[in-house]
Amino acid sequence: MDTRLLEERSRILTETRAFFLGRGYLETDTPALAPALIPESCLEVFRTEYDNPFLGRMDLWLVPSPEVWMKPLIARLRRSVFQVCKCFRNSESLGRLHNPEFTMLEYYTVGADSGDSRQLTEELFRRCAGPDTPAWARPPFRRMTMAEAFRELAGLDLEALQDRGALVEAGRGKGLLVPLEASWEDAFNQVFLSLVEPSLPADAPLVLERYPAQIECLAADIPGTPWKDRWELYAGGMELCNCYTEASDPGAVRASFERESERKRTARVPHRVDAGYPDLFSGFPPCSGVAMGFDRFVLALTGERDLSRLLPYPFADILAENEGALRRP
Amino acid sequence: MIRGGDIAKGSVLLINSHPHIVVDREFVNPGKGAAFARVKAKNMRNGNVVTQTIKTQDEVEDAQVDLIDCQYQYSDAENYIFMNNESFEQYFIPFPGHEDKKFYLQEGETYSILFYEGEAIDIKIPYKMVFTVAESENYVRGDTVSGATKPVVCETGLVVRVPLFIKQGEKILVNTETNEYQERVNT
Repeated sequence: MDTRLLEERSRILTETRAFFLGRGYLETDTPALAPALIPESCLEVFRTEYDNPFLGRMDLWLVPSPEVWMKPLIARLRRSVFQVCKCFRNSESLGRLHNPEFTMLEYYTVGADSGDSRQLTEELFRRCAGPDTPAWARPPFRRMTMAEAFRELAGLDLEALQDRGALVEAGRGKGLLVPLEASWEDAFNQVFLSLVEPSLPADAPLVLERYPAQIECLAADIPGTPWKDRWELYAGGMELCNCYTEASDPGAVRASFERESERKRTARVPHRVDAGYPDLFSGFPPCSGVAMGFDRFVLALTGERDLSRLLPYPFADILAENEGALRRP
Repeated sequence: MIRGGDIAKGSVLLINSHPHIVVDREFVNPGKGAAFARVKAKNMRNGNVVTQTIKTQDEVEDAQVDLIDCQYQYSDAENYIFMNNESFEQYFIPFPGHEDKKFYLQEGETYSILFYEGEAIDIKIPYKMVFTVAESENYVRGDTVSGATKPVVCETGLVVRVPLFIKQGEKILVNTETNEYQERVNT
Protein backbone atom coordinates (compact mmCIF):
# COMPACT_ATOMS: atom_id res chain seq x y z
CA MET A 1 0.00 0.00 0.00
CA ASP A 2 1.17 3.49 -0.87
CA THR A 3 -0.34 6.37 1.14
CA ARG A 4 -0.10 8.70 -1.83
CA LEU A 5 -2.33 6.31 -3.81
CA LEU A 6 -4.91 6.27 -0.99
CA GLU A 7 -4.96 10.06 -1.08
CA GLU A 8 -5.39 9.98 -4.85
CA ARG A 9 -8.17 7.40 -4.52
CA SER A 10 -10.03 9.70 -2.14
CA ARG A 11 -9.56 12.69 -4.46
CA ILE A 12 -10.74 10.72 -7.53
CA LEU A 13 -13.79 9.43 -5.64
CA THR A 14 -14.74 12.98 -4.62
CA GLU A 15 -14.29 14.19 -8.22
CA THR A 16 -16.33 11.27 -9.55
CA ARG A 17 -19.25 12.05 -7.23
CA ALA A 18 -19.12 15.76 -8.10
CA PHE A 19 -18.97 14.87 -11.82
CA PHE A 20 -22.19 12.83 -11.78
CA LEU A 21 -24.09 14.97 -9.26
CA GLY A 22 -23.25 18.05 -11.34
CA ARG A 23 -24.91 16.36 -14.33
CA GLY A 24 -28.12 15.60 -12.46
CA TYR A 25 -27.50 11.88 -11.81
CA LEU A 26 -29.05 10.45 -8.66
CA GLU A 27 -26.61 8.60 -6.41
CA THR A 28 -28.10 5.28 -5.34
CA ASP A 29 -27.13 2.87 -2.58
CA THR A 30 -28.57 -0.57 -3.30
CA PRO A 31 -28.12 -3.69 -1.12
CA ALA A 32 -25.00 -5.85 -1.23
CA LEU A 33 -27.17 -8.88 -0.43
CA ALA A 34 -29.68 -10.23 -2.93
CA PRO A 35 -32.17 -13.15 -2.79
CA ALA A 36 -31.56 -13.87 -6.51
CA LEU A 37 -29.02 -12.78 -9.13
CA ILE A 38 -28.81 -12.24 -12.88
CA PRO A 39 -27.42 -15.53 -14.29
CA GLU A 40 -23.91 -14.95 -15.68
CA SER A 41 -22.03 -18.12 -16.50
CA CYS A 42 -18.73 -16.20 -16.70
CA LEU A 43 -18.55 -15.56 -12.97
CA GLU A 44 -18.93 -17.25 -9.60
CA VAL A 45 -20.56 -15.63 -6.58
CA PHE A 46 -20.50 -15.67 -2.76
CA ARG A 47 -23.36 -17.28 -0.88
CA THR A 48 -24.45 -16.38 2.62
CA GLU A 49 -27.52 -16.82 4.80
CA TYR A 50 -29.98 -14.61 6.64
CA ASP A 51 -30.76 -16.18 10.02
CA ASN A 52 -33.69 -14.99 12.09
CA PRO A 53 -34.44 -17.13 15.16
CA PHE A 54 -38.17 -16.39 14.82
CA LEU A 55 -38.73 -16.27 11.07
CA GLY A 56 -36.22 -18.80 9.87
CA ARG A 57 -33.37 -18.78 7.36
CA MET A 58 -33.01 -17.53 3.82
CA ASP A 59 -30.25 -17.98 1.22
CA LEU A 60 -28.72 -14.72 0.04
CA TRP A 61 -25.92 -13.91 -2.38
CA LEU A 62 -23.45 -11.03 -2.41
CA VAL A 63 -23.87 -9.02 -5.60
CA PRO A 64 -21.17 -9.43 -8.28
CA SER A 65 -22.43 -6.07 -9.62
CA PRO A 66 -25.21 -3.72 -8.40
CA GLU A 67 -26.96 -4.15 -11.78
CA VAL A 68 -29.49 -6.62 -10.33
CA TRP A 69 -30.85 -3.86 -8.03
CA MET A 70 -30.13 -0.76 -10.10
CA LYS A 71 -32.08 -1.81 -13.17
CA PRO A 72 -35.43 -2.27 -11.36
CA LEU A 73 -34.79 1.12 -9.76
CA ILE A 74 -34.23 2.73 -13.18
CA ALA A 75 -37.45 1.12 -14.46
CA ARG A 76 -39.25 2.72 -11.50
CA LEU A 77 -37.56 6.14 -11.38
CA ARG A 78 -36.87 6.53 -15.12
CA ARG A 79 -33.85 8.71 -14.46
CA SER A 80 -30.05 8.55 -14.69
CA VAL A 81 -28.32 7.05 -11.67
CA PHE A 82 -24.83 6.21 -10.45
CA GLN A 83 -23.41 4.18 -7.60
CA VAL A 84 -20.03 3.39 -6.05
CA CYS A 85 -20.14 0.16 -4.05
CA LYS A 86 -18.39 -3.04 -3.07
CA CYS A 87 -18.95 -6.04 -5.34
CA PHE A 88 -17.94 -9.64 -4.82
CA ARG A 89 -16.72 -12.29 -7.25
CA ASN A 90 -15.70 -15.74 -6.15
CA SER A 91 -13.23 -18.28 -7.56
CA GLU A 92 -11.22 -15.78 -9.60
CA SER A 93 -7.47 -16.01 -9.52
CA LEU A 94 -5.62 -13.58 -7.30
CA GLY A 95 -3.21 -11.32 -9.02
CA ARG A 96 -2.19 -7.78 -9.66
CA LEU A 97 -5.60 -6.94 -11.20
CA HIS A 98 -8.00 -9.17 -9.26
CA ASN A 99 -9.38 -9.14 -5.74
CA PRO A 100 -12.54 -11.07 -4.74
CA GLU A 101 -14.11 -7.91 -3.28
CA PHE A 102 -13.61 -4.72 -5.20
CA THR A 103 -15.20 -1.32 -5.72
CA MET A 104 -17.45 -0.84 -8.72
CA LEU A 105 -18.55 2.46 -10.21
CA GLU A 106 -21.73 1.87 -12.17
CA TYR A 107 -23.60 4.62 -14.07
CA TYR A 108 -26.71 4.44 -16.20
CA THR A 109 -27.81 7.26 -18.49
CA VAL A 110 -31.45 7.30 -19.49
CA GLY A 111 -32.12 8.20 -23.13
CA ALA A 112 -28.50 7.45 -24.08
CA ASP A 113 -26.70 4.84 -26.17
CA SER A 114 -23.21 3.38 -25.85
CA GLY A 115 -21.73 6.25 -27.91
CA ASP A 116 -23.07 8.78 -25.38
CA SER A 117 -21.58 6.67 -22.59
CA ARG A 118 -18.22 6.71 -24.37
CA GLN A 119 -18.22 10.52 -24.45
CA LEU A 120 -19.37 10.69 -20.83
CA THR A 121 -16.59 8.33 -19.76
CA GLU A 122 -14.05 10.38 -21.68
CA GLU A 123 -15.23 13.50 -19.79
CA LEU A 124 -15.00 11.60 -16.49
CA PHE A 125 -11.37 10.72 -17.28
CA ARG A 126 -10.65 14.35 -18.15
CA ARG A 127 -12.22 15.52 -14.88
CA CYS A 128 -10.41 13.00 -12.68
CA ALA A 129 -6.95 13.00 -14.29
CA GLY A 130 -4.21 14.38 -12.05
CA PRO A 131 -0.68 15.63 -12.63
CA ASP A 132 0.67 12.05 -12.41
CA THR A 133 -1.76 10.62 -14.98
CA PRO A 134 0.33 9.05 -17.77
CA ALA A 135 -0.39 9.62 -21.48
CA TRP A 136 -1.74 6.05 -21.80
CA ALA A 137 -4.60 6.91 -19.42
CA ARG A 138 -5.46 10.36 -20.79
CA PRO A 139 -8.27 11.15 -23.24
CA PRO A 140 -9.02 11.36 -26.10
CA PHE A 141 -9.89 7.67 -26.33
CA ARG A 142 -8.81 5.69 -29.35
CA ARG A 143 -11.54 3.55 -30.99
CA MET A 144 -11.38 0.18 -32.68
CA THR A 145 -14.04 -2.40 -33.47
CA MET A 146 -13.55 -6.02 -32.48
CA ALA A 147 -13.63 -6.95 -36.17
CA GLU A 148 -10.83 -4.46 -36.94
CA ALA A 149 -8.77 -5.74 -34.01
CA PHE A 150 -9.11 -9.35 -35.22
CA ARG A 151 -8.25 -8.38 -38.79
CA GLU A 152 -5.22 -6.26 -37.90
CA LEU A 153 -3.77 -8.22 -35.00
CA ALA A 154 -4.78 -11.82 -35.71
CA GLY A 155 -5.27 -11.68 -39.48
CA LEU A 156 -8.77 -13.17 -39.15
CA ASP A 157 -12.12 -12.04 -40.53
CA LEU A 158 -14.28 -12.49 -37.44
CA GLU A 159 -17.49 -11.55 -39.23
CA ALA A 160 -16.98 -14.49 -41.59
CA LEU A 161 -16.09 -16.83 -38.72
CA GLN A 162 -19.46 -16.98 -36.97
CA ASP A 163 -19.62 -20.75 -37.28
CA ARG A 164 -18.13 -22.64 -34.33
CA GLY A 165 -16.18 -25.16 -36.39
CA ALA A 166 -14.76 -22.47 -38.67
CA LEU A 167 -13.48 -20.37 -35.77
CA VAL A 168 -11.97 -23.42 -34.01
CA GLU A 169 -10.21 -24.34 -37.25
CA ALA A 170 -8.96 -20.76 -37.78
CA GLY A 171 -7.57 -20.64 -34.23
CA ARG A 172 -5.81 -23.98 -34.66
CA GLY A 173 -4.50 -22.76 -38.00
CA LYS A 174 -2.77 -19.96 -36.09
CA GLY A 175 -1.00 -22.58 -33.96
CA LEU A 176 -3.25 -22.06 -30.94
CA LEU A 177 -4.24 -24.91 -28.62
CA VAL A 178 -7.99 -24.63 -29.32
CA PRO A 179 -9.73 -27.94 -28.45
CA LEU A 180 -11.73 -29.41 -31.36
CA GLU A 181 -14.88 -29.38 -29.22
CA ALA A 182 -14.41 -25.79 -27.95
CA SER A 183 -17.50 -23.59 -27.92
CA TRP A 184 -17.56 -20.56 -30.23
CA GLU A 185 -17.13 -18.30 -27.20
CA ASP A 186 -14.14 -20.21 -25.80
CA ALA A 187 -12.46 -20.32 -29.22
CA PHE A 188 -13.09 -16.57 -29.58
CA ASN A 189 -11.52 -15.94 -26.17
CA GLN A 190 -8.50 -18.10 -26.94
CA VAL A 191 -7.76 -16.16 -30.13
CA PHE A 192 -8.58 -12.82 -28.50
CA LEU A 193 -6.44 -13.42 -25.40
CA SER A 194 -3.49 -14.98 -27.26
CA LEU A 195 -3.20 -12.85 -30.38
CA VAL A 196 -5.37 -9.75 -30.08
CA GLU A 197 -5.47 -8.41 -26.53
CA PRO A 198 -1.67 -8.50 -25.87
CA SER A 199 -1.11 -6.40 -29.03
CA LEU A 200 -3.89 -3.82 -28.63
CA PRO A 201 -2.55 -0.27 -29.09
CA ALA A 202 -1.62 0.94 -25.61
CA ASP A 203 -0.42 4.52 -26.15
CA ALA A 204 -3.87 5.91 -25.24
CA PRO A 205 -7.04 4.49 -23.66
CA LEU A 206 -8.73 2.21 -26.18
CA VAL A 207 -12.46 1.68 -26.64
CA LEU A 208 -12.93 -1.75 -28.19
CA GLU A 209 -16.41 -1.67 -29.76
CA ARG A 210 -18.99 -4.06 -31.15
CA TYR A 211 -18.56 -7.30 -29.23
CA PRO A 212 -19.77 -10.57 -30.73
CA ALA A 213 -23.48 -11.22 -30.20
CA GLN A 214 -22.53 -14.85 -29.50
CA ILE A 215 -21.15 -13.74 -26.13
CA GLU A 216 -24.17 -13.70 -23.87
CA CYS A 217 -24.91 -10.46 -21.98
CA LEU A 218 -27.69 -7.91 -21.53
CA ALA A 219 -26.47 -5.55 -24.29
CA ALA A 220 -28.76 -4.74 -27.22
CA ASP A 221 -28.07 -6.46 -30.55
CA ILE A 222 -27.06 -4.29 -33.50
CA PRO A 223 -29.76 -5.37 -35.97
CA GLY A 224 -28.60 -7.19 -39.09
CA THR A 225 -25.07 -7.76 -37.73
CA PRO A 226 -23.36 -10.43 -35.58
CA TRP A 227 -22.49 -7.73 -33.02
CA LYS A 228 -23.84 -6.35 -29.78
CA ASP A 229 -23.84 -2.65 -28.93
CA ARG A 230 -21.19 -3.11 -26.26
CA TRP A 231 -17.71 -1.72 -25.69
CA GLU A 232 -14.89 -2.27 -23.26
CA LEU A 233 -12.26 0.25 -22.31
CA TYR A 234 -8.59 -0.75 -22.05
CA ALA A 235 -5.83 1.39 -20.59
CA GLY A 236 -2.28 0.26 -19.92
CA GLY A 237 -3.24 -3.33 -20.72
CA MET A 238 -5.99 -3.23 -18.06
CA GLU A 239 -9.65 -3.85 -18.82
CA LEU A 240 -11.28 -0.90 -17.04
CA CYS A 241 -14.95 -0.91 -17.95
CA ASN A 242 -17.73 -2.53 -19.84
CA CYS A 243 -20.57 -0.58 -21.47
CA TYR A 244 -23.85 -1.55 -23.12
CA THR A 245 -26.67 0.08 -24.88
CA GLU A 246 -28.98 -1.83 -22.57
CA ALA A 247 -31.24 -4.54 -23.97
CA SER A 248 -34.84 -3.41 -23.58
CA ASP A 249 -36.71 -6.25 -25.24
CA PRO A 250 -38.18 -8.47 -22.47
CA GLY A 251 -38.28 -11.44 -24.87
CA ALA A 252 -34.55 -11.16 -25.63
CA VAL A 253 -33.70 -10.74 -21.94
CA ARG A 254 -35.84 -13.78 -21.04
CA ALA A 255 -34.11 -15.89 -23.72
CA SER A 256 -30.71 -14.77 -22.41
CA PHE A 257 -31.77 -15.62 -18.84
CA GLU A 258 -32.82 -19.09 -19.93
CA ARG A 259 -29.59 -19.82 -21.82
CA GLU A 260 -27.39 -18.50 -19.02
CA SER A 261 -29.41 -20.28 -16.29
CA GLU A 262 -28.85 -23.52 -18.17
CA ARG A 263 -25.09 -22.90 -18.34
CA LYS A 264 -25.08 -21.94 -14.65
CA ARG A 265 -26.09 -25.50 -13.69
CA THR A 266 -22.40 -26.44 -13.49
CA ALA A 267 -21.47 -23.40 -11.38
CA ARG A 268 -19.32 -23.97 -8.30
CA VAL A 269 -21.66 -21.70 -6.32
CA PRO A 270 -25.19 -21.96 -7.76
CA HIS A 271 -27.64 -19.17 -7.02
CA ARG A 272 -31.34 -18.44 -7.33
CA VAL A 273 -32.62 -16.65 -10.43
CA ASP A 274 -35.81 -14.59 -10.37
CA ALA A 275 -37.82 -15.86 -13.35
CA GLY A 276 -39.93 -12.68 -13.25
CA TYR A 277 -36.92 -10.37 -13.56
CA PRO A 278 -36.99 -10.09 -17.40
CA ASP A 279 -40.54 -8.67 -17.13
CA LEU A 280 -39.27 -5.38 -15.76
CA PHE A 281 -37.70 -4.67 -19.16
CA SER A 282 -41.14 -4.11 -20.67
CA GLY A 283 -41.14 -0.73 -18.91
CA PHE A 284 -37.44 -0.07 -19.22
CA PRO A 285 -36.47 3.31 -20.71
CA PRO A 286 -33.83 3.50 -23.50
CA CYS A 287 -30.63 3.55 -21.52
CA SER A 288 -26.88 2.93 -21.57
CA GLY A 289 -24.91 1.63 -18.59
CA VAL A 290 -21.22 1.46 -17.72
CA ALA A 291 -19.63 -0.76 -15.08
CA MET A 292 -16.15 0.42 -14.17
CA GLY A 293 -13.66 -1.25 -11.85
CA PHE A 294 -13.04 1.79 -9.68
CA ASP A 295 -9.77 0.48 -8.20
CA ARG A 296 -8.37 -0.10 -11.68
CA PHE A 297 -9.56 3.38 -12.68
CA VAL A 298 -7.47 4.80 -9.81
CA LEU A 299 -4.49 2.67 -10.88
CA ALA A 300 -4.71 3.99 -14.44
CA LEU A 301 -5.03 7.64 -13.39
CA THR A 302 -2.01 7.30 -11.11
CA GLY A 303 0.07 5.37 -13.65
CA GLU A 304 0.07 2.17 -11.58
CA ARG A 305 -0.76 -1.40 -12.68
CA ASP A 306 -0.89 -3.42 -9.48
CA LEU A 307 -3.77 -3.46 -6.98
CA SER A 308 -1.47 -4.41 -4.10
CA ARG A 309 -0.03 -0.88 -4.32
CA LEU A 310 -3.49 0.57 -3.73
CA LEU A 311 -5.39 -1.82 -1.46
CA PRO A 312 -4.57 -1.57 2.26
CA TYR A 313 -5.44 -5.27 2.64
CA PRO A 314 -5.05 -7.21 -0.62
CA PHE A 315 -6.88 -10.53 -0.36
CA ALA A 316 -3.73 -12.43 -1.37
CA ASP A 317 -2.08 -11.12 1.83
CA ILE A 318 -5.11 -11.99 3.97
CA LEU A 319 -4.97 -15.51 2.53
CA ALA A 320 -1.23 -15.87 3.10
CA GLU A 321 -1.50 -14.66 6.70
CA ASN A 322 -4.37 -17.05 7.44
CA GLU A 323 -3.15 -20.09 5.53
CA GLY A 324 -4.07 -22.35 8.46
CA ALA A 325 -7.73 -21.49 7.93
CA LEU A 326 -7.62 -22.65 4.29
CA ARG A 327 -9.37 -25.99 3.69
CA ARG A 328 -7.58 -27.46 0.69
CA PRO A 329 -9.59 -29.32 -1.98
CA MET B 1 -1.84 -34.09 -19.85
CA ILE B 2 -1.88 -30.98 -17.68
CA ARG B 3 -4.86 -28.82 -16.66
CA GLY B 4 -4.73 -25.16 -17.70
CA GLY B 5 -5.11 -24.14 -14.06
CA ASP B 6 -2.10 -26.27 -13.05
CA ILE B 7 0.35 -24.83 -15.57
CA ALA B 8 3.15 -22.96 -13.82
CA LYS B 9 6.40 -21.28 -14.72
CA GLY B 10 8.77 -24.09 -15.71
CA SER B 11 6.03 -26.48 -16.93
CA VAL B 12 6.98 -28.10 -20.23
CA LEU B 13 4.15 -28.19 -22.80
CA LEU B 14 4.05 -29.98 -26.10
CA ILE B 15 2.85 -27.37 -28.61
CA ASN B 16 2.50 -28.54 -32.20
CA SER B 17 4.87 -31.45 -31.34
CA HIS B 18 7.63 -29.18 -30.00
CA PRO B 19 8.56 -28.97 -26.32
CA HIS B 20 7.98 -25.48 -24.93
CA ILE B 21 8.96 -24.31 -21.46
CA VAL B 22 6.56 -21.91 -19.73
CA VAL B 23 8.42 -18.69 -18.94
CA ASP B 24 5.43 -16.65 -17.77
CA ARG B 25 1.86 -17.43 -16.71
CA GLU B 26 -1.07 -15.26 -15.67
CA PHE B 27 -4.73 -15.99 -15.10
CA VAL B 28 -7.15 -13.86 -17.09
CA ASN B 29 -10.92 -13.45 -16.91
CA PRO B 30 -12.02 -11.69 -20.07
CA GLY B 31 -15.18 -9.59 -19.69
CA LYS B 32 -18.09 -12.06 -19.74
CA GLY B 33 -15.75 -14.99 -20.36
CA ALA B 34 -14.49 -18.07 -18.52
CA ALA B 35 -11.17 -18.19 -16.64
CA PHE B 36 -8.10 -18.81 -18.77
CA ALA B 37 -4.39 -19.26 -18.13
CA ARG B 38 -2.37 -17.13 -20.53
CA VAL B 39 1.15 -18.46 -20.86
CA LYS B 40 4.27 -17.37 -22.65
CA ALA B 41 6.16 -20.48 -23.66
CA LYS B 42 9.59 -20.78 -25.24
CA ASN B 43 10.23 -23.33 -27.95
CA MET B 44 13.17 -25.25 -26.50
CA ARG B 45 14.53 -26.07 -29.93
CA ASN B 46 14.67 -22.58 -31.49
CA GLY B 47 14.01 -20.16 -28.64
CA ASN B 48 10.86 -18.65 -30.22
CA VAL B 49 8.38 -17.44 -27.61
CA VAL B 50 4.65 -17.96 -28.24
CA THR B 51 1.56 -16.84 -26.31
CA GLN B 52 -1.08 -19.51 -25.68
CA THR B 53 -4.33 -19.26 -23.77
CA ILE B 54 -5.82 -22.34 -22.15
CA LYS B 55 -9.12 -22.58 -20.29
CA THR B 56 -8.31 -23.42 -16.68
CA GLN B 57 -10.48 -26.57 -16.83
CA ASP B 58 -9.14 -27.77 -20.20
CA GLU B 59 -6.22 -30.15 -20.46
CA VAL B 60 -3.31 -29.81 -22.86
CA GLU B 61 -0.46 -32.13 -23.67
CA ASP B 62 2.65 -31.75 -21.56
CA ALA B 63 6.05 -33.12 -22.47
CA GLN B 64 7.44 -36.03 -20.45
CA VAL B 65 10.87 -34.79 -19.49
CA ASP B 66 13.73 -36.25 -17.44
CA LEU B 67 16.21 -34.37 -15.31
CA ILE B 68 19.79 -35.69 -15.28
CA ASP B 69 22.73 -34.25 -13.34
CA CYS B 70 25.50 -33.26 -15.71
CA GLN B 71 28.81 -31.44 -15.36
CA TYR B 72 29.38 -28.32 -17.45
CA GLN B 73 32.64 -28.73 -19.35
CA TYR B 74 33.08 -25.91 -21.86
CA SER B 75 31.45 -24.19 -24.80
CA ASP B 76 32.49 -24.22 -28.43
CA ALA B 77 31.37 -21.71 -31.06
CA GLU B 78 27.77 -22.98 -31.07
CA ASN B 79 27.10 -25.26 -28.10
CA TYR B 80 27.37 -25.72 -24.38
CA ILE B 81 28.97 -29.09 -23.71
CA PHE B 82 27.92 -31.15 -20.68
CA MET B 83 28.92 -34.59 -19.42
CA ASN B 84 26.63 -37.09 -17.71
CA ASN B 85 28.06 -37.56 -14.20
CA GLU B 86 27.36 -41.31 -14.26
CA SER B 87 27.71 -42.50 -17.84
CA PHE B 88 30.30 -39.87 -18.86
CA GLU B 89 28.34 -39.40 -22.08
CA GLN B 90 28.67 -35.92 -23.62
CA TYR B 91 25.71 -33.71 -24.61
CA PHE B 92 25.66 -30.63 -26.80
CA ILE B 93 23.09 -27.88 -26.16
CA PRO B 94 23.03 -25.32 -28.98
CA PHE B 95 23.04 -21.63 -27.96
CA PRO B 96 19.76 -20.47 -29.60
CA GLY B 97 17.17 -19.93 -26.88
CA HIS B 98 19.79 -20.34 -24.15
CA GLU B 99 22.06 -17.36 -24.84
CA ASP B 100 21.63 -15.85 -21.38
CA LYS B 101 22.58 -19.13 -19.66
CA LYS B 102 26.28 -18.44 -20.29
CA PHE B 103 26.33 -16.01 -17.35
CA TYR B 104 25.50 -18.84 -14.96
CA LEU B 105 27.65 -21.67 -16.32
CA GLN B 106 30.88 -22.43 -14.47
CA GLU B 107 33.22 -25.14 -15.68
CA GLY B 108 33.25 -28.23 -13.48
CA GLU B 109 29.92 -27.37 -11.78
CA THR B 110 26.97 -29.78 -11.89
CA TYR B 111 23.61 -28.68 -13.37
CA SER B 112 20.29 -30.46 -13.91
CA ILE B 113 19.77 -30.96 -17.63
CA LEU B 114 16.27 -31.42 -19.03
CA PHE B 115 15.89 -34.25 -21.53
CA TYR B 116 13.02 -34.76 -23.93
CA GLU B 117 13.00 -37.96 -26.00
CA GLY B 118 16.69 -38.46 -25.33
CA GLU B 119 17.63 -34.96 -26.41
CA ALA B 120 19.16 -32.43 -23.99
CA ILE B 121 16.93 -29.37 -24.34
CA ASP B 122 17.37 -27.14 -21.32
CA ILE B 123 19.67 -26.27 -18.45
CA LYS B 124 18.18 -25.68 -15.01
CA ILE B 125 20.08 -22.88 -13.30
CA PRO B 126 20.15 -23.30 -9.48
CA TYR B 127 18.13 -20.64 -7.66
CA LYS B 128 21.23 -19.45 -5.77
CA MET B 129 24.84 -19.75 -6.95
CA VAL B 130 28.30 -18.69 -5.78
CA PHE B 131 30.33 -16.54 -8.16
CA THR B 132 33.85 -15.10 -7.97
CA VAL B 133 34.20 -11.35 -8.48
CA ALA B 134 36.49 -10.77 -11.45
CA GLU B 135 36.36 -6.98 -11.80
CA SER B 136 35.53 -4.44 -9.17
CA GLU B 137 36.35 -0.78 -8.91
CA ASN B 138 37.61 0.42 -5.57
CA TYR B 139 35.40 2.92 -3.86
CA VAL B 140 36.80 5.13 -1.13
CA ARG B 141 35.19 4.58 2.25
CA GLY B 142 33.02 7.49 3.28
CA ASP B 143 32.38 8.91 -0.15
CA THR B 144 28.82 7.55 -0.34
CA VAL B 145 25.85 7.01 1.94
CA SER B 146 25.39 3.75 3.85
CA GLY B 147 23.61 0.99 1.94
CA ALA B 148 25.25 2.15 -1.27
CA THR B 149 26.15 -0.49 -3.86
CA LYS B 150 28.45 -0.78 -6.85
CA PRO B 151 28.35 -3.01 -9.92
CA VAL B 152 30.91 -5.83 -10.17
CA VAL B 153 31.58 -8.30 -12.98
CA CYS B 154 31.78 -11.99 -12.07
CA GLU B 155 34.05 -14.52 -13.81
CA THR B 156 31.14 -15.65 -16.00
CA GLY B 157 30.45 -12.07 -17.14
CA LEU B 158 27.40 -11.67 -14.89
CA VAL B 159 27.04 -8.11 -13.54
CA VAL B 160 25.77 -7.86 -9.95
CA ARG B 161 25.24 -4.88 -7.66
CA VAL B 162 27.04 -5.53 -4.36
CA PRO B 163 27.86 -3.60 -1.17
CA LEU B 164 30.97 -1.44 -1.38
CA PHE B 165 33.07 -3.74 0.86
CA ILE B 166 33.16 -6.55 -1.72
CA LYS B 167 36.57 -6.79 -3.40
CA GLN B 168 37.96 -8.41 -6.51
CA GLY B 169 38.62 -12.14 -6.04
CA GLU B 170 35.98 -12.56 -3.30
CA LYS B 171 33.10 -15.02 -3.61
CA ILE B 172 29.48 -13.88 -3.43
CA LEU B 173 26.12 -15.71 -3.28
CA VAL B 174 23.67 -14.48 -5.94
CA ASN B 175 19.94 -15.06 -6.53
CA THR B 176 19.98 -16.16 -10.17
CA GLU B 177 16.36 -15.18 -10.85
CA THR B 178 16.83 -11.54 -9.92
CA ASN B 179 20.65 -11.33 -10.13
CA GLU B 180 20.59 -9.83 -6.63
CA TYR B 181 23.50 -10.13 -4.24
CA GLN B 182 22.68 -12.28 -1.18
CA GLU B 183 25.86 -12.45 0.93
CA ARG B 184 29.65 -12.71 0.92
CA VAL B 185 30.91 -16.30 1.02
CA ASN B 186 33.96 -16.96 3.21
CA THR B 187 36.31 -19.55 1.86
